[in-house]
Amino acid sequence: MPDPGPDGPIRLIDARGAWLAPDGPPHSDDVLRELLVQMLAIRQMDERFQNLVRTGRVSIMTSAAGHEAAHVGMARALERGRDWLFPYYRDQGLLLAYGVPAREIFGQMLATRADPGLGRQTPTHIVAKHLRVFSMTSPVGSHLPAAAGAAIGLARREPGAAVLASFGDGATATGDFHGALTLAGVERAPVVFVCENNQYAISVPLSRQSASVSIAAKAAAYGMPGVVADGFDVLAVERAVGEALARARAGQGPSLVELDLYRYAPHSSSDDDMRYRTSEAVAARRAEDPVDRFRRYLEGRALWDDARERAALASTGAALDAAIAEADAAGPVAPEAMFDDVFAELPWHLVEQRRRLSYDLD
Amino acid sequence: MTPITMVQAIARTIDRALEADDAVVVLGEDVGARGGVFLATDGLQAKYGPARVMDTPLNEGTILGAAVGMAAVGLRPIAEIQFADYIFPGMDQLVSQVATLRYRTAGAFTAPLVIRMPSGGGVRGGLWHSQSPEAHFVQTPGLTVVIPSTPTDAAGLLQSAIALDDPVVMLEPKRLYRAVKEEVPEGHTVPIGRAALRREGADLSLVSYGTSMPEVLRAADELAAVGVSAEVLDLRTVMPWDRDAVLTSVVKTGRLVLVADAPGQASVVSEIAATVCELALDQLLAPPIRVSGYDIPYPYAQDRFYLPSVTRILYAAKQAMDY
Repeated sequence: MPDPGPDGPIRLIDARGAWLAPDGPPHSDDVLRELLVQMLAIRQMDERFQNLVRTGRVSIMTSAAGHEAAHVGMARALERGRDWLFPYYRDQGLLLAYGVPAREIFGQMLATRADPGLGRQTPTHIVAKHLRVFSMTSPVGSHLPAAAGAAIGLARREPGAAVLASFGDGATATGDFHGALTLAGVERAPVVFVCENNQYAISVPLSRQSASVSIAAKAAAYGMPGVVADGFDVLAVERAVGEALARARAGQGPSLVELDLYRYAPHSSSDDDMRYRTSEAVAARRAEDPVDRFRRYLEGRALWDDARERAALASTGAALDAAIAEADAAGPVAPEAMFDDVFAELPWHLVEQRRRLSYDLD
Repeated sequence: MTPITMVQAIARTIDRALEADDAVVVLGEDVGARGGVFLATDGLQAKYGPARVMDTPLNEGTILGAAVGMAAVGLRPIAEIQFADYIFPGMDQLVSQVATLRYRTAGAFTAPLVIRMPSGGGVRGGLWHSQSPEAHFVQTPGLTVVIPSTPTDAAGLLQSAIALDDPVVMLEPKRLYRAVKEEVPEGHTVPIGRAALRREGADLSLVSYGTSMPEVLRAADELAAVGVSAEVLDLRTVMPWDRDAVLTSVVKTGRLVLVADAPGQASVVSEIAATVCELALDQLLAPPIRVSGYDIPYPYAQDRFYLPSVTRILYAAKQAMDY
């Protein structure tokens, strides 16, 4: 647990589902229910990703289990059509909640023509320009300078728009994190850096990434506010990120938000987390599960019950399965297409290499 | 028209680009009040303001990454890396972010950047002010790489690079920044991927680019004096290089000497030599011979011995003629 400073982490609902904040909930009952449905959908999507790997249809996936409240809260805080999102490779839940069609997400996972990126990227590296969602990269933190640059550009061309850049705790050790926050601070760029602190960079715990009391504390060195929010509390995430985005849109500069959460699954489907942590440690954090917590809160207010849960799971599950079918139906990407989009125009050496590929296709 | 140097031609081209298109921005270290350490952005911040000619913190990766983000929201950045030797802290951004953006998004996003950097030795700059790292860029799919050797080509290639919707790395031979002055027509463009025939000849093709061009032209003069007619090609673009021009010349002369100041291993000149052997072996009267920089870190004390000299070029030409 990071040291959240004298005011504690931003938290609206405690681990038992009890409301803590002095003010009331920020949304109508329908919206509150929708937030739970989105978190349930992310968990269902995760299970489907796991299945695609297990059946050999997808080579690798990075689970979002434990990140559901962070993803739904961030999606809710963003203003669609106005803000920009620079996500990282564990953010498929954020993209689903933000409105990226599940067909495109599964198209990317399955590398079919339903993928706007035409199957060029590792699974979960989703792009959605139509929603102002930038392309992901595997080198951790390497999208952060671009997020700062986009914010600088937006301040000039579309004042009132903001950028949200999300990343894991390991990213905070990179030079790109330092460079991006340095630049954003100097330029007072409208960007919110959101660390989804899930406590591990593959196997290495946060204590081996940084000796700082918290990630949020680093903000001071870049001349921006830093806050810690409970990353298992969807409304706390929405509030912390929303307030930071509002400051950015109002021209009050960048912020750093640390979401304290926990990765339930191994780093990826190719990782074995029992080599570096115990199942008891995982179970201890799962006891505070963000989905269970929010469900208990809604149940306590008589906004949710088993019947609603069953109906929601049936409906989102069917939508996800339909999306997988649509992604499949789009068909595979042609082998020759691997030469497209390296350059705007195919140079002579690639024309010839594409011709050589045809020997393998006969 | 007043004759101008290469660096003046570059500054003028950037000035006109800033004037013509609001989306064009310049960013880099010391590009503002200082006007760039070589004055390639001299006076531009005063003219266009710090938002369009932006001094960045000292971090090459941040410069390139920020430029990618600026391009994503519609700007057309011209980024300066102060010396080509300093691209290495920015190499991940160049290779992972800049070069792959069009590819990994199937064209949804592009990186219409120009990344300018002074390169090459011969200025007593020592290890980190002398390197010619073009082979690294040529090995990176998605990058277009241009290297002018004259003020007119510098202006023309830069103009084309600014117009291109893909990232272009422009290596600027710093030794040639102020070596000559010439009249450079306004608005002049040089097509990317097209070599320039500097001198026609019948016996031998000298193919080169950038820093080494003055030595190559002097070598051609000396060869003429002893009755060897050398053709001289200036590649100007090394990715994609002008294969047709090289093959046409080699088929005509039957002999090829390739000259560049970069280290020779896995270099541009090696690639061209291999391609010529694959495609035109039966037209050759002698094997292609490479004259390159040595495969050593760039030394300070031996600065003048590192670059391909006229003597080394002549020695290679003699080998080809005597074969």
